[in-house]
Amino acid sequence: MTTQRERLEADVLIVGAGPAGLACALHLANLIEKQRTAGDASSSGATPLAAENIYVLEKGREVGAHQLSGAVMDPRGLAELVPGFEKTAPFYTPVTADTLYFFTKHSAWPFPFLPPSLKNHGNYVVSLSRLVRWLGALVEQSGVNLFTQFGGAQLLYEGDGIAGVITEDKGLDKNRRPKGNYSPGYEIRAKVTVLAEGSRGSLTKDLVARKKLDNVNPQLYAMGIKELWEVQPGRIEPGVVAHTLGWPLDKTLYGGGWAYGLLDNRVSLGLVIGLDYADPQFDPHEAFQRWKTHPFVRRILDGGKLLRYGAKTIPEGGWYSMPRTYVDGGLIVGDAASFLDSRRLKGIHMAIKSGMLAAETIFDALVAGDCSSKMLQKFPEKVERSWIKKELWPVRNFHQAFQRGGLWGGLLHAGFQFLTGGRGLVDPMRAHAGHEAYRKLAEHAALADEISIPIKPPERFQGDGNLTFDRLTDVYHSGTRHDDDQPCHLIVADTNVCATICVTDFGNPCQYFCPAAVYEMVQENGGWRLKISAANCVHCKTCDVADPYQIINWVVPEGGGGPNYDGM
Amino acid sequence: MKILVITEQRQGKWHQTSWEALAAAQQIAAETGTTVVGVVIGKGVAPLAGELAAAKLQEVLLVEHDLLEPYTPDGFIAALVQVIAAAKPDLVLFPHTYQVRDFAPKLAASLGKGMIADCVACRNEGGKLVFVRQVFQGKAAVDVTFAGSAPWFASLQAGAFRADKLVAHPSGKAPVNAVSLELKPEQIRTKPLELFREAKQAVDLTQAPVIVAIGRGIKAQENIPQAERLAKALDGELAASRPICDEAWLPMERQIGSSGQTVAPKLYLALGISGAIQHVVGMKGSRTVVAINRDQNAPIFEVADYGIVGDIFEIMPALAEELEKAKAG
Repeated sequence: MTTQRERLEADVLIVGAGPAGLACALHLANLIEKQRTAGDASSSGATPLAAENIYVLEKGREVGAHQLSGAVMDPRGLAELVPGFEKTAPFYTPVTADTLYFFTKHSAWPFPFLPPSLKNHGNYVVSLSRLVRWLGALVEQSGVNLFTQFGGAQLLYEGDGIAGVITEDKGLDKNRRPKGNYSPGYEIRAKVTVLAEGSRGSLTKDLVARKKLDNVNPQLYAMGIKELWEVQPGRIEPGVVAHTLGWPLDKTLYGGGWAYGLLDNRVSLGLVIGLDYADPQFDPHEAFQRWKTHPFVRRILDGGKLLRYGAKTIPEGGWYSMPRTYVDGGLIVGDAASFLDSRRLKGIHMAIKSGMLAAETIFDALVAGDCSSKMLQKFPEKVERSWIKKELWPVRNFHQAFQRGGLWGGLLHAGFQFLTGGRGLVDPMRAHAGHEAYRKLAEHAALADEISIPIKPPERFQGDGNLTFDRLTDVYHSGTRHDDDQPCHLIVADTNVCATICVTDFGNPCQYFCPAAVYEMVQENGGWRLKISAANCVHCKTCDVADPYQIINWVVPEGGGGPNYDGM
Repeated sequence: MKILVITEQRQGKWHQTSWEALAAAQQIAAETGTTVVGVVIGKGVAPLAGELAAAKLQEVLLVEHDLLEPYTPDGFIAALVQVIAAAKPDLVLFPHTYQVRDFAPKLAASLGKGMIADCVACRNEGGKLVFVRQVFQGKAAVDVTFAGSAPWFASLQAGAFRADKLVAHPSGKAPVNAVSLELKPEQIRTKPLELFREAKQAVDLTQAPVIVAIGRGIKAQENIPQAERLAKALDGELAASRPICDEAWLPMERQIGSSGQTVAPKLYLALGISGAIQHVVGMKGSRTVVAINRDQNAPIFEVADYGIVGDIFEIMPALAEELEKAKAG
């Protein structure tokens, strides 16, 4: 039985209203407007292009609701998209000071020198959510159709490429039965579909797997966990950028902390942790809470108030993890396509630039009346000639070095790479997917006799309620909401694996790596059962990335659900 | 000044917030030296009008017509327009119910007037009435006054005024006067069908004065009857935090918290509930909170007025027994 779906036709469909998707939409609308005012008739007698035929889909309740980043932004991307943005944009603070510390349990050692990649003079501390909201308003003004609360649920495959997207069915209950407000997803067909879903996009994951678009390395991920605080005046100046290495992350863990001073006595702070650690019971959320107790951070936060919480995965693989970014009728841009400089910790400027280059490619394709690979492959060619390549090429082996050598080995490799324009000691340096790094509990504990008894997981971190918090309190501050009566959007292929071999092999790491307390193992009839609280999900995609058996598939829930990252 | 209070009944049963609206009207009248007139509207509601007459009112208007049963917005509006034209009140007050939301704005608009809805307070500032309503989901409150001439329309939030403050009639009963109406079937555009309840046991936790809530501490579905017994002994309703409803041990309509109901009963008993913030936001308005939990560090104790660090399986039956004894004896 096939569902009757309403069909919509668009010239261009962009999935995701983040910096990449919105940059693509805005730049394309500008190109169309320029053509219109120049009185140019399009060739091949096709109907003239219009911004109204560009559709952007955003699964969040409003534009910016699911946007989260530190963030220190390099303005060069935004300056190309919206020249003179400094005069009209209300969301940024220029960076005034850069510091890098090495933390031990009680002290903070400033680095003797600042690596050039962490020099942020000329950059801005921004709220990505506010930036995206502002961009969204510009996009809507240009006539583009922006639909919030709609996600891309399935790709429409046609021939060798894609022909559009089906949005999610709305109004299904927990058992997939239609409720009173049932409305089947729309079939939106477009000449070009742009996947701008961000890190570990669900449609992107499907497309890359099905069309085998993978590069020499799979994508490598880190997770960023963030809190936004309001602190006592004078604790940290606006524009101060501080990064930390070391405690509480040991030398086997990739990652570090950040604290950025914003206006109005606000601080953006958090911890980035590479999702390729060996201990399956490592708890990144707990590590972040512990990091806050360091005297350096505590001094900033004492007497302050938690405003908001969130988490997101970060694509760290760089150039060698970049999938092929084009198919017939389709392009991949932004974080979803690995456009992120992991050494500088910056991706927003590249997301914007990639969106713009995609827009130029699409414009030419629409004018020529040919949206096949032949025209769309000009996108990676444009990327190759742009400053994206100039910036990403020298860091092409950066993250992989840390996977191999831990903190110190990684820094050593990074040093060599810096001196050799990225080649370093091994080029290309291969890496394995992060979830393959887990060591089984038996190896960890070296107590082979005990593994026949169901493992009792360690107590989950509770927090003191003032400076540190348990997961549930943090989740509350993410503002995440989902309609409870809908199909679970976290599809676990075989929960027997969770209840049996994962218990003994890894101790169910989902309980520890999910920053939103979605997964929990509960005792039932003398055994274990996986309990999923899907409503807590903050759409970070960590579970999709870090599950040791890769049986968790994150799909888009009913649109409008998810976190509310206002100000993040 | 005259205040007209439109009460609500359905099939001969009062919507209890009608009494709150009457008490509020009496308060305002006392402050401003005015009179209150109660209105009962429907069909065959003379007995209810008689009940109303026991309160301190200038009179009770019995507004009856065949076409006013069952409720239709057109019918009520057509009737009340006539009532207002005859009675000439300055202020028309409603309890803020679902039914009032359906017809009152249209009624006000048809007379070219505005309406201040869902008010939580009213005060007299030198002869001018100032109504207070909440905005931004209760984060702020706004003072609103009427501009222009009477009649003015306002509705009052459930629970904002206390029905037990209702003043009885000093000398027996207020006069009950029937109002003659002209209503024609053509005026009524809607044809109401059978009333139905969505669920077999629809429960409105927001109306319950006592709530007994269970959390993870209840451990198993088989233990719930112990809590039910306690709830019955207190004449209260059973409710739960999220994990219980997730397991479907209790229906979702009994869930209290940020993704369930928000309640403010007189007494809230939290049994085996840790007090995660998602739950607390749904019940922190309760007048008295009693918490029982094994864990002395449970956050619920921060919002509880009385707390017992103990085993709910010991305390529930003991409490229930004492309450049952007190009720019997």
